[in-house]
Amino acid sequence: MAISKELLDILACPKCKGDIYLNEAGDGLICEKCKLIYEIKDDIPIMLIEEAKPLEG
Amino acid sequence: MRLLITGAAGFIGSHLAETLLAQGHQVTGIDNFLDYYPRWMKEKNLEGVRTKPGFEFIEADLLETDLVSLVKRLEGVIHLAAQAGVRASWGENFRTYSDNNVLATQRLLEACRGEGIKKFIYASSSSLYGDTDDLPMREESILRPVSPYGVSKAAGEYLAYLYYKNFGLPTVALRFFTVYGPRQRPDMAFHRFFRAGREGKPLVVWGDGEQSRDFTFISDIVQGCLRALEAGRDGAVYNIGGGTRRTLNEVLEAMRRITGKPMEVNYQPVQKGDVRHTGASLEKIKKELGYNPQVSMKEGLELEWEWVQDLYNK
Repeated sequence: MAISKELLDILACPKCKGDIYLNEAGDGLICEKCKLIYEIKDDIPIMLIEEAKPLEG
Repeated sequence: MRLLITGAAGFIGSHLAETLLAQGHQVTGIDNFLDYYPRWMKEKNLEGVRTKPGFEFIEADLLETDLVSLVKRLEGVIHLAAQAGVRASWGENFRTYSDNNVLATQRLLEACRGEGIKKFIYASSSSLYGDTDDLPMREESILRPVSPYGVSKAAGEYLAYLYYKNFGLPTVALRFFTVYGPRQRPDMAFHRFFRAGREGKPLVVWGDGEQSRDFTFISDIVQGCLRALEAGRDGAVYNIGGGTRRTLNEVLEAMRRITGKPMEVNYQPVQKGDVRHTGASLEKIKKELGYNPQVSMKEGLELEWEWVQDLYNK
């Protein structure tokens, strides 16, 4: 069960509802505005504000 | 058909996802892994579908996710996600129930408005009927829930109807009667009983054990959901029951025969929120949707016992 582009297209940041994009490693979804990264574990995007990690740099 | 199942990692959601995928549907599952029971059990529930083509899964919360973009490409929604548990719904805990059962439902309905959804199934509950001697419970019976949980599920059901009535969203509410079988939640009676039996511990029954329930095997619930998805009348409510009412003591007797264990009972005072009896009138769902429960209590209990043994044999 890989994440389809279609699914990625419909996912939004649960905090600001803005756009997110896949990071280079393919294991996280980045929201530039909130400076958060939503991890993808075992092909499951974890779209929970509480679980999101701060974006470094 | 592309469908959204909320609460897809749960007991009913995972079974439903499996059946729908086997029928060639595409399923998007969403679940927030609410910590009411251990995460590993829910992850295990998903094992059978995780790798199936046509399945995708998002760990997200209906209270915060952008649902509008999520529902855009969908044709059907099966809304099972909820905070379960009757006895835990009192006091401060009620916020969790109102957030997850009322507010989350309203957010989802709102997102589906005007989005070309062909069917929106709302998982309702026999607990809406409350304590009554007027059995069997019919869809048009007066609703007098006796637990805050029942009130929250009733609010969700009314909201689903409102979105049908006012905005034409084709909602159907299904009132499930005590569901059991493999993957049953660990706080539910049969799971607790079998687990205690397996460990040779006494089990707790709240009340004298003479309370009765209309127990419904999981595959019959799935059957009812599928029929409602295909042919449920928009705005309608249907009971889904197992067709047989048993007392807890009768069930325990059957469990002793199946397990060969003594299953000693520690009877405790009745808990607030519990009803004495439930019994579903199946007249409406049989007539309108051709539903017919298939699994006998004996068969269903044997399947759950087998599963409980596997689950804890690690």
